[in-house]
Amino acid sequence: MPATSLKNFFRLTTLRDIGLFLLTLAAFLWLVLRGAEQMGYTWHWQRIPGYLFTLDEDGFSAGPLLQGLGLTLVITSISMLCAGLIGLATALLRLSSSPIGRQLARIYLEISRNTPLLVQIFCFYFIVAPILDIGRMSTAVLALSLFEGAYASEIFRAGIQSIHRGQWEASHSLGLTRWQGYRHVILPQAIRKIMPPLTSQAISLIKDSALVSTIAVYELTMQGRAIIADTYLTFEIWTVVAAIYLVLTLAVSAVAGILKQRLQGVG
Amino acid sequence: MITVRDVTKVFPGGVVALDGFSLDVCRGEVLVIIGPSGSGKSTFLRCLNGLDAIDSGTIIIDGVALDKNEANRLAIRREVGMVFQSFNLFPHLNVEENINLAQQLVQKKKLAEATASTHALLTRVGLLNKANRYPDELSGGQQQRVAIARALALHPKVMLFDEATSALDPEMIGEVLDVMRDLAAEGMTMLVVTHEMGFAREVSDRVVFMDHGRVVEEAASKDFFTKPLHDRTRDFLSQIL
Ligand SMILES: Nc1ncnc2c1ncn2[C@@H]1O[C@H](COP(=O)(O)OP(=O)(O)OP(=O)(O)O)[C@@H](O)[C@H]1O
Ligand SMILES: [Mg+2]
Repeated sequence: MPATSLKNFFRLTTLRDIGLFLLTLAAFLWLVLRGAEQMGYTWHWQRIPGYLFTLDEDGFSAGPLLQGLGLTLVITSISMLCAGLIGLATALLRLSSSPIGRQLARIYLEISRNTPLLVQIFCFYFIVAPILDIGRMSTAVLALSLFEGAYASEIFRAGIQSIHRGQWEASHSLGLTRWQGYRHVILPQAIRKIMPPLTSQAISLIKDSALVSTIAVYELTMQGRAIIADTYLTFEIWTVVAAIYLVLTLAVSAVAGILKQRLQGVG
Repeated sequence: MITVRDVTKVFPGGVVALDGFSLDVCRGEVLVIIGPSGSGKSTFLRCLNGLDAIDSGTIIIDGVALDKNEANRLAIRREVGMVFQSFNLFPHLNVEENINLAQQLVQKKKLAEATASTHALLTRVGLLNKANRYPDELSGGQQQRVAIARALALHPKVMLFDEATSALDPEMIGEVLDVMRDLAAEGMTMLVVTHEMGFAREVSDRVVFMDHGRVVEEAASKDFFTKPLHDRTRDFLSQIL
């Protein structure tokens, strides 16, 4: 399956697109180099690999940047899972027949989507964390999960509502309970429509996770800031950090693309 | 078997879809319901199996009164099978899985047991060779026959048909009507909303003409078409015959 999608990818990519891409890349590099030159910046690229990893007689050991990447991966994957669950639960609550449930869900959504994530992170860090007595990591995961969960819930809701109501009528008329209807009839169909927007949400989550560096969680961005504070390798480190995020988000899109093909292959 | 008394259904927005509707249906009876568009035929069928809640009146099916209680609604739905104009098969499941689903979830049958009765049902509607196909690989007529088999899987005491053939190409109407005819011959209690007057005349025991959410006229089908009593019935019949 991955082999065929890779083939498609190359077939679709025309020569013109490759040319344009290289041109843009060259222009970007020129701008960076020129900017550095004007500031009298001397490059120290040779020092960068050491911050990524070291290979010696003890074998491979991850440098601060890769350690940061590891933590970013841990934070985003746990948050993704939690955001998905929160999103689904909130969507079901909003579509439920309970007025209290619907109202609670709406209050959560309004607050979550109408305040800056950074402020939310601070609120969790300075107010909620001491009350619940949780660490910085848990605080970061909690804040990100709740924030992204609000967006995920709107995606779930739209997906669920896009399923024709005849599907509900059929499952009700067969005596299925509401939950059985969701579980066996509605959600399996909705998930196919939900995949693409959910992927972009996952990518947002990866990018937003950089904000938890503000509460000194040593993920990728925080590690970058720490190295720069020590070494003043501003250009090199931010470039590498940006590149790592790019690889990560592109990888998520690729996996999602393959997954989507699989899902659509069935039925 | 079914007793409906003074049922009223008002939709949000003030549309009175059923307005003091009363009807009795005996066991094994095949009843055809006709009436102009918007007269409340679909609403009546939907209320019978609890898809829509009634605002007042009573519905008693096989001795059990339909009320707002969820458990009661589920119990009624299991006794009442429904076939829709637009089939409403589950597109992500194949034919066999469509028919297995409620048997497994509602009757708690094991897969093998469910599949066995599914195959018996598919044989009955002549589609055993399509067991592993998905709904979008079937013609409309075949889909509707699968939908009938699916509704029969729970051994309902009553079957409701809401314009089961209206979405079909003319050449496929016959195969679905044949299945319905067999079902009627087996003694199933059936309420059929249809525009197929041939079917009504031939298969049904009684015809009910409704308009504006009420019964205007009901008569044994042999009398209904030959000597309608009301002007409105006569007008309607002259339009569609
Ligand atoms: N969900 C709903 N919300 C509001 N009004 C509705 C709803 N469903 C039906 N109605 C209204 O109730 C009335 C009866 O509708 P119903 O579908 O029962 O008619 P019908 O006899 O089945 O018509 P048709 O022959 O066109 O199917 C109509 O005026 C319709 O507009
Ligand atoms: Mg109708």
